[in-house]
Amino acid sequence: MRKFNRMVPATMAAVMVTLAACGEEEQNGVEENGGDEAQSEGEEVEEDEDNDDGEAVDEAEHDGELTVYSARNETFVDQWLESFEEDTGIEVNALHADDNAVNLIQEESENVQADMFISNDIGALEFLRMEGLLQGYEPENVDSIGEEYRAEDDSWVALSARTRAFMYNKDIVDEEDVPNNIADLANDEYEGEFAITRGANGSMIAHVSALRQEWGDEETKEWLGDISENAGAILSGHSDIRDVVGQGEFAFGLVNNYYYHQQLEEPDNNNVGIVYPDQGEGEMGAVLNAAGIGMIEGAPNEENAQVFMDWALEEENQREFSYDSLEVPINPDIEPYDEAASIDDYETHDMPLRELGEVWEDTRELIEDSDMDLEIR
Amino acid sequence: MKWRQHEKQKHQGEQQAGDGQSSPASRRFKKLPFKGVWTSHWNGRPPGGVLLGFGLLTALLMGVPIFYVIWRAMFAGADRWENLMDGRLLDLLWNTGTLMVAVTGATLVLGVSLAWLVSRTDLPGRRMWQWLLAVPLVIPPYVGAAAYIIVAGPVGWLAGFFDPGEYPLDIYSFAGVFFVLTIFTFPYVFLITMASLRKMNRNYEEVARSQGLSTSQIFWKVNVPFLRPAMGAGAILVSLYVLSDFGAIAMMRYTTFTAAIYYQMGSYDNLSATVLSVVLIALTLVVLWIESRTRKKQKYYQTANSFMPPDTLALGKWKLPALMYVIGVFFFAVVLPMIVLVYWSSIGIAEGALDSDFWEYTWNSILVSGMAALICMVLAVPVIYLKSRYPSPITSFIDKLSYSGYALPGVIVALGIIYFFNEYIPALYNTYYLIAIAFVVRFLPQAMQSGEASLSLVSPRIDEAARSLGQPPWKAMFKVVLPSILPGVLAGGALVFVSAIKELPATLLLRPPGFDTLAVRIWVDTNEAFYHLAAPAALIIIIISLIPLRFLLKKY
Repeated sequence: MRKFNRMVPATMAAVMVTLAACGEEEQNGVEENGGDEAQSEGEEVEEDEDNDDGEAVDEAEHDGELTVYSARNETFVDQWLESFEEDTGIEVNALHADDNAVNLIQEESENVQADMFISNDIGALEFLRMEGLLQGYEPENVDSIGEEYRAEDDSWVALSARTRAFMYNKDIVDEEDVPNNIADLANDEYEGEFAITRGANGSMIAHVSALRQEWGDEETKEWLGDISENAGAILSGHSDIRDVVGQGEFAFGLVNNYYYHQQLEEPDNNNVGIVYPDQGEGEMGAVLNAAGIGMIEGAPNEENAQVFMDWALEEENQREFSYDSLEVPINPDIEPYDEAASIDDYETHDMPLRELGEVWEDTRELIEDSDMDLEIR
Repeated sequence: MKWRQHEKQKHQGEQQAGDGQSSPASRRFKKLPFKGVWTSHWNGRPPGGVLLGFGLLTALLMGVPIFYVIWRAMFAGADRWENLMDGRLLDLLWNTGTLMVAVTGATLVLGVSLAWLVSRTDLPGRRMWQWLLAVPLVIPPYVGAAAYIIVAGPVGWLAGFFDPGEYPLDIYSFAGVFFVLTIFTFPYVFLITMASLRKMNRNYEEVARSQGLSTSQIFWKVNVPFLRPAMGAGAILVSLYVLSDFGAIAMMRYTTFTAAIYYQMGSYDNLSATVLSVVLIALTLVVLWIESRTRKKQKYYQTANSFMPPDTLALGKWKLPALMYVIGVFFFAVVLPMIVLVYWSSIGIAEGALDSDFWEYTWNSILVSGMAALICMVLAVPVIYLKSRYPSPITSFIDKLSYSGYALPGVIVALGIIYFFNEYIPALYNTYYLIAIAFVVRFLPQAMQSGEASLSLVSPRIDEAARSLGQPPWKAMFKVVLPSILPGVLAGGALVFVSAIKELPATLLLRPPGFDTLAVRIWVDTNEAFYHLAAPAALIIIIISLIPLRFLLKKY
């Protein structure tokens, strides 16, 4: 039914053609030399150093395992993790635990299981770092990511950006009938017309944090109660919203913008459009967030976690991370996916993403105190 | 005086058995000066250390998640409770309570009527129906829910026949959830009722008939009271299932306590989740209490030596309506979902869904479910034996505690287990053994219910005879009672296996990284609308589960 995850590898393959020479070398290297996976000059230097130091682990295949907890949609990261396995020989044990990943990492702080955390939300990463659950590491090529998109100690690094926007079904509504600012979602005229995620969703929490900064707590709380009442459906994730809007069950939905691009890739139900809210003069702009990776404090396979961080920051892997979900790469040197609007094409809210971590817990409490549904309906 | 001799013999028997496992509890009790108090607590017949120790250990294992939840809830603070009290809690209670009552009521009607039709009347093909109507048991309700969303959802097959916006059915409603849960859980009632019906002795009915009672009078005055324990057992299974279901309810966009707790955990808020869980535990206790209240004074035994199989009633002009009814239920519970599954499976298999990963998931599912079934059978027997033969506050405490896990949502059982093993047994933490343990905690009551139903038909006289010949209680249980209730115990194990292989929330939370089961894949793929990947996994669960179901029906 959905061809999207089949299309992505195809797109990826096309991109990879440009890297064909490099790729071939790489593969031969893996097969013949048993894991000399040099891909960039930087890495080759490192390899040489390792040889000098006589570190057998790095020199031969980086054997062993890496445990990854991921809050992202499984289809977005599976390919990526597989190519890590192929490149390094490290076996990845992935746990796709949705929002429970944060819960687990907190629960396991005395008996750490995970080495890496792949998050959908910078707020969650920074929150974990502030709780002392992430550890700093300076990966190679970390400078390719702007400082505002990584932790002070580089314990987490954002790789791909997404923006909150309205995706609508063109068969049902015209663009002008979609609200052009977030506050309007509370208006009666949209009652039953749209779908949102439940309040506990990571992207929703970050969005509400931005609104609190803009509007203050009281107004935000009121708005939450109103949209909860107004929404036609409250669903558990954005994939669900993409489905119901694409199929025309609801006219529009509040999503992260890459879900719109994904829906365009569908063989059918793809007559959808997008509205970035709050673009007018003096308005707050669309709310931005990012997905990224963080290294767990006390990671049992620390060395492999470092290999992973280094690998993830290689430019082609940064690219693949974004392209697998059709997000926009944080690294400005990596050209975005063809159809994707660059972050510069629309106004964005100016709240630094790191600050999401500090207010993360307060925001969650505010959502719980409001009349916003925590459950789906 | 006689009892004192029993006591001595019991202790000798225990020592002869020479097991080092003779529990510390029993030794302590021997030394205690108030042995008399201990003995009188049991009405002069204490059950012996081995048996009691085993029962207490089981209760302890089953109790861990509950204690974790209550422990955590104590630290939740008053404001959490207040938060939940204003409004949300009442909504949740109403949503959960109405759904549970409605589904339980409907499954009782469906289950008992169908069981009676296929085992006591001349319904055409009744042998075949006996096992066909049990098939919905192996269709996980969340698979059923997905199938009905595909068929009757707002953009489903049926909606295609209507103009846009004209489609009248709203599957995301109370009626939708009610329908799906009823149609996929009625076999719990059906199977247990049928087992009792089959064991019903014709003598009773003949006496009633000789006294001039009509068929319907016999049904209400003889059959129904006799079926009362089976109906109660079935109703409990259904009620508890509704309380604990996550997958189907989430897919149908309904919210009960279990779903709310799961979402609370997703919002990283364990404390509110534990507060909700405490309320849910209370709800479970109410259910168990009501059930035990209503059957308290009813005990029916029959002896094997005068057993005569019941005779068959002629349906006459009701034959056709009865057959239509049976076919109708079967169509909605089995045929329609199977059409959906086969349709999507054929697409999936053509696209290569049956790869090596798929078989790995299958093996993982069988591994953890089989392990759980085995452990449940071993643990269930002592607990039900204690409860039935040595009734006392202690055994009833063991019994109640053993029921706890089943009504606790899988999420909370999982979190209790995570917490306990994380803290005290880190070596086992993040291994698949934890999934099996969670299954045991969740499904031991199914093994117990099934065993109890059999045990209630074995007269205590039989094991009293064994005891009077000097056997300690655990030996009497093992050698005399176990053989006669073995079919029930094995059926219980089969029931556990079938439930375990489709269990979702606990598996989702406890699977170690890199370890997926079929149920997990179905959930993930269905949510992504990868129906072609989910359908083969659902089919294989159904096929695997059919084997124990066959066995279960033969032995029942």
